[in-house]
Amino acid sequence: MEDQPSSRMNQIFDLLVEEIEERIQVRSRSMPPVRPPVSPPTEAAPPPPPARVEREEALPEPQVEVKRHPLDPEPEPELLPVSQGPSHAARMMGRLALGLLVAIVLINIPFNRHGTTLATAMPDSAALVVLDGLVVKEEDGEEIYVYQNDQFRWISSLDAFEHFGFTWGDVHIVEDGYLDRFEIGTPLHVLLKCHSSPHIYRLERGEKRWIRDIATFEAEGHVWEDVRFVSCTYLRGLPDGETIPPGSGPPPQP
Amino acid sequence: MNSLAIVETVLRNRRRFFAEIREGVGLGEKVRAMLVASIAFFALYGAVMGSTHSLWQTLSSAVKLPVLFLATLVVCSPTLYFFNLIFGSNQSLVQNFTLILTAITVTAVLLLSFAPILLFFLLTTSSYQFFKLLNVGIFTISGIVGVIFLTQGMRIVSAGGKEGAGARWAVVRLWILVYGFVGSQMAWTLRPFIGAPSMRFELFRQLGGNFYANIFASIGEILGFVTVR
Repeated sequence: MEDQPSSRMNQIFDLLVEEIEERIQVRSRSMPPVRPPVSPPTEAAPPPPPARVEREEALPEPQVEVKRHPLDPEPEPELLPVSQGPSHAARMMGRLALGLLVAIVLINIPFNRHGTTLATAMPDSAALVVLDGLVVKEEDGEEIYVYQNDQFRWISSLDAFEHFGFTWGDVHIVEDGYLDRFEIGTPLHVLLKCHSSPHIYRLERGEKRWIRDIATFEAEGHVWEDVRFVSCTYLRGLPDGETIPPGSGPPPQP
Repeated sequence: MNSLAIVETVLRNRRRFFAEIREGVGLGEKVRAMLVASIAFFALYGAVMGSTHSLWQTLSSAVKLPVLFLATLVVCSPTLYFFNLIFGSNQSLVQNFTLILTAITVTAVLLLSFAPILLFFLLTTSSYQFFKLLNVGIFTISGIVGVIFLTQGMRIVSAGGKEGAGARWAVVRLWILVYGFVGSQMAWTLRPFIGAPSMRFELFRQLGGNFYANIFASIGEILGFVTVR
């Protein structure tokens, strides 16, 4: 029973000694001239116990205010050397750049046979800029239109589509009714001719329509640049449609 | 990575950086580092811009955006140098070049930081006009911050010479205006950077119109006043 009070007393003494040591150290810190010069550690000087070091670090540094003359030049701030190695901001920049590079590659990889990428996958009718050459097809419609001179013109056949140099990549799918907002112009036809025949035919919905004479050709607004040369066999294989103008008799075969 | 460390110094410790430019310390190393970093950052941002259209536009914008800024730098540097020289500056052309390159590098870093936001809008919106105006906004903010860096740098670098300081300051402000106009016209000349979704890929579009009229038309279309045709 006598041991308990003596151990408590010992604990109290230990705490008191620690507190005194701390105060002495704080006082010696706040009086720089008294502080002895720093000497290299000797073998005789035992290393301080780790617990003490932690407590010392926890203590706040005394604030010493340095008064500067107003006319003195402003001191240069504490500066990092320019050529030091990369720190976290530099690493962040590097990682961000690398991440972006990976993202750019990923969003540009085509994921279907039409070459659609993630970057261009958004429905784009809202994004369309209506300019000459814009090719559109309404979602549920089959007809393809091209915008020329403030009008949308129907491209009357696949041959015409190819003849005018369009590709499926040019076709923008738009919502139904999109074309109602625009004026619809005359259809865009392709004229077919083979070398061994003088006749010219206009292709419409897969049928060839014989154009009776040059006057009709010009009256329909066609130009020689619209004429596409194909093989006579191909031309003969196309079904006949109504002549131009209608009722001009049975169409001659190429 | 050393290039990025130097760029970080520009952002963190600019007074020291500008003081070193004033003293002419390591100008070659600084220029190299900033060129490498800004070209890489501009290329990445340009690639994100062009991704809305096609792979060719992605590659084209990745090349054209660094060219835009560096060409503007080359075109505008001599003006600033000679005007400063007339009004008593003792800076060399290389010092002027490094200072402007610092502003451009800051712009490039900010564009890089905006790139994820741009990528987000690229994947979630489809309005071309909105995307274009978003880019104009990002470039404006980044450019203004870059120019602020330039003016701070000018003040520190030319701190030594008191003669004609007021005139030099006026020259810098005027030069910033010229720089803005040259930059916007250069951008108009090198367009497209985004590529209108309804048009085929073009490396350069035919000249005509101007940057400002196009931006006003885009704002008009977004607000529903006009249709850009």
